Amino acid sequence: MTWKANRLALRQGSLFPLCASTVAGVVIITPVLVVLWRSLTSGKLGFTVGLNATNYLRVFADKDIWPMLSNSIVYAGGSALLGTGLGGLLAWIVARTNTPGKGLVELMPLYPLLMPPIMKNIAWILLLAPKSGILNGMLEQFLGITYPVFNAFTMAGMIWVFGIACVPLGYLFLLPVFISFDPSLEESAYIAGSRPVHTMLKITFPLAIPAFISAFVLNFLRALRSFETPVLQGTPGDIKVFVSRVYDSMALEFNTGLATAYSVVLVVISALTLYFYVRATRFSERYATITGKGYRVRVIDIGPWKYVTFAAVCLYFLAGIAIPFVVLIVVSIIPFFDYDTFMSFPSHMGLNNYRTVLRHGSFINGLRNSVLLSVVIALITVFTGIVMAFTIHRTRAVGTKIFEFIGTLPLAFPPLVLSVGLVIIFVGTPLYNSLWALGLGLFVAYFPYAFRNASGAIVNIHKELDEAAWVHGARWRHVFFKITLPILKPAVGGALFYIFIEAIRNVDVAVLLTAPGLEYGPVTLFEYFRVGQWAEASAGGVIYLIILIVAVSVAKLAFRVKFSL
Amino acid sequence: MHRKSTMVTAIALSASFFFGAALAAEKAPTKEAAKETVKAPAAPAKKPGGQQVKKETGSAAATANAAKAYAQASAELYPKAKQEGNLVVYSVWDVEHLRVITEAFMKRYPGIKATFWQGRNPEIVTRALTEFQGGQASFDVVLSDNAPPVIRAAGAIMDYNTVQREVLYLHDPNMATVSLQVQALAFNTKKIKPADLPKSWEEVASPKYKGMIALDDPMRAGPLSSMLAGLKTQWKDDARLNNFIRNLKALGVPVHKSTSAMFRLVISGEYAICMPALLHDVMEEMHKGTPVNYVKTVPPVVFPRQAGIYIKAPNPNAAKLFAEWLISDEGQRTTDSIGRETSRNDFKSKTSIESAYGKTMKPLPVTDQQFLEDPKSWLDKYVKPIWEG
Repeated sequence: MTWKANRLALRQGSLFPLCASTVAGVVIITPVLVVLWRSLTSGKLGFTVGLNATNYLRVFADKDIWPMLSNSIVYAGGSALLGTGLGGLLAWIVARTNTPGKGLVELMPLYPLLMPPIMKNIAWILLLAPKSGILNGMLEQFLGITYPVFNAFTMAGMIWVFGIACVPLGYLFLLPVFISFDPSLEESAYIAGSRPVHTMLKITFPLAIPAFISAFVLNFLRALRSFETPVLQGTPGDIKVFVSRVYDSMALEFNTGLATAYSVVLVVISALTLYFYVRATRFSERYATITGKGYRVRVIDIGPWKYVTFAAVCLYFLAGIAIPFVVLIVVSIIPFFDYDTFMSFPSHMGLNNYRTVLRHGSFINGLRNSVLLSVVIALITVFTGIVMAFTIHRTRAVGTKIFEFIGTLPLAFPPLVLSVGLVIIFVGTPLYNSLWALGLGLFVAYFPYAFRNASGAIVNIHKELDEAAWVHGARWRHVFFKITLPILKPAVGGALFYIFIEAIRNVDVAVLLTAPGLEYGPVTLFEYFRVGQWAEASAGGVIYLIILIVAVSVAKLAFRVKFSL
Repeated sequence: MHRKSTMVTAIALSASFFFGAALAAEKAPTKEAAKETVKAPAAPAKKPGGQQVKKETGSAAATANAAKAYAQASAELYPKAKQEGNLVVYSVWDVEHLRVITEAFMKRYPGIKATFWQGRNPEIVTRALTEFQGGQASFDVVLSDNAPPVIRAAGAIMDYNTVQREVLYLHDPNMATVSLQVQALAFNTKKIKPADLPKSWEEVASPKYKGMIALDDPMRAGPLSSMLAGLKTQWKDDARLNNFIRNLKALGVPVHKSTSAMFRLVISGEYAICMPALLHDVMEEMHKGTPVNYVKTVPPVVFPRQAGIYIKAPNPNAAKLFAEWLISDEGQRTTDSIGRETSRNDFKSKTSIESAYGKTMKPLPVTDQQFLEDPKSWLDKYVKPIWEG
């Protein structure tokens, strides 16, 4: 970079976003560095001895990790591909086609986000279990098929359940791209004689690649470190995944250092996927779909296919939330689950499970704390994520690509490992056992989602918009608040929604950071899932889902939150 | 380049500041922990503490003695505990159960404010030992099953021998056993006839049960590994134990890392036999009319649930009072009311061994010190070579 360029960068006042990103980066990387340091000490908690590489030597000597890693990569890759691909397709349907019932269709792919993955796991196990599953039972009862066609305890079953859970993230990442699409790019193709399907495949979808990869990377890393699906579905099917080594190190050996050493393998995989992402999007202007020219996004008339796309969205809605939700509702009103009782539920109905849940004093008290904290964390995290993405893609400071890695790093660590780092930092300070510590923990845990979302979206804004402002003497704040932020509005709305929903049900990070006496909603609500009381868990889940569905619908109407056109 | 160096410097300075602070927070305690470390490993060797003493039946005299000793301890501890004013409990028990327990305790002993934090065993151990290494006087009692012995092995539990030891089914001279975890061989009554059921734990490994059994993962610190530890102590025959593990492995049945999820799958009819289930879960389901039952001829595995007092407890008297109260008649009644098994041999409840299995039943207690304090090394030594070999 020349001295002239540096002076220009200084004149633009890029120092604030750079400093803000640096501070955020340091907050994020500190717990990571603490656990990494810890991995260089051998011995269990309480017996720390000097620095050495024993944990890493154990990891390298572990012959079982290769088959586990290959299982993990198949599972994470399959889930991320299914989730992101389906999410992208739904985003395109909602944003670019004349599919009927826009208001409803826009929200349908989002509602499944409200259902926590563990609830989906349980519902799909009840549906797909080989001997006692509802679907296999129906096939036997109505079609006489005795062979178990469906099996939840297989790799395909795992990919299906987690992949379906990955769809909303893909949808939220790709929707803003399709919404803010400059139609001149497609019009050029039409003028050149291209047919709509061809244009879609050759122009529209390739331009969404950065956001697609961004969502894919996130979903891939989420799946890679996810624990519920491998435990509930993988273990009974003898499918061992890598993350179980991390958890065994914590649960059996109580050895944070070893758990971190195993997590470093995940960090390496994350770094490789990020490197791939950075390489793929290095010529960001190629993917800019939002340019300086005035335009109105063109909705494609897909003719009678619009009914097919409508049916596709409804199908996803059915698989993503309606069917599992109905299963949970039935399970919550019957005394116990087996196929016969499930099918004859009207004669077994009762509200005992609801009474049990509503008598749970911590349920409502805890929910108050978590709602408040989740709103604040979502706002701060999303804003900081955009600032960091802006620093990387829009300021002229050199070396900012490191933030790509730092901003995504927490995602490589299983939550329990990450929260140990946070506890080590906070213990002995006034922050320990306070809502501040919990808030910072949630910030670190969810920053990658906000950041990757902003990063994927910002790449799609052509630099000419900023450059026009720079030429007219604008400083960073003018560019950021007057140009970037307003254009990113749909992405911001989606990210706020996503992080709020994720934070409000967080248990893994929160559990070590909540103070004695501090009731925190998710910890108490999901206790039923944790202790395996599925009937009570279903009742709690149904109440929780109804509250969220009503809250989201009211918020959408009251504040006119808009995720699409 | 100027900008690049500014960027690098900014990151380096901020990182060194934050990371330095974090390391400082870790470093100071580590020094302290190093001192503890010297003592810690020696603790179990110094005291044969933690050795579980089994006393299956009580006597009227023992009950009277225990009541008298509790009254005396209560009179001594309460004024001091009241002065301390607080009690912080870390526990694996359900939040609602902890709420009932702490409220009953506060009602019995006004002036003491009891709060709790709930987590799973790995979370409890992680939090407690991180605080211990950080020199924090942050909590008073760990109320759990697997966690207290592990925390004690790190030197973070204070020795406390309960005054009511005479009436305990399983007594540990260093920690109060306030409840028992009882594991039963459960089955789905729709899926298997009583005549076809296994008559012993060993018979479960018979090939005829292949495809019918849900097995807890023997390579985790869970119910099945506890049972293996109990069988090892009882059989005193390693060849027999190895054969049992080998036969279980030969069944080629799925293993589960979540005992509760496994039990739900037995209820749903996915499996016929649950190896093993928690007795209070089975009883609760039977009460609801669920088609499950347990084999009354197979000895239940008994694992202690203890109240370990933290070595740096800010309110040690309140902690001792709480442990004593939990073992007292009132405490046991409260424990029974939330569906948890009591620890006294003179307390009658539906989940007591005597009422669930009859007077003649000889349960299988888990008393292996190495298993309780370091389950990983025990499993590596006795189970892994056969299970994964």
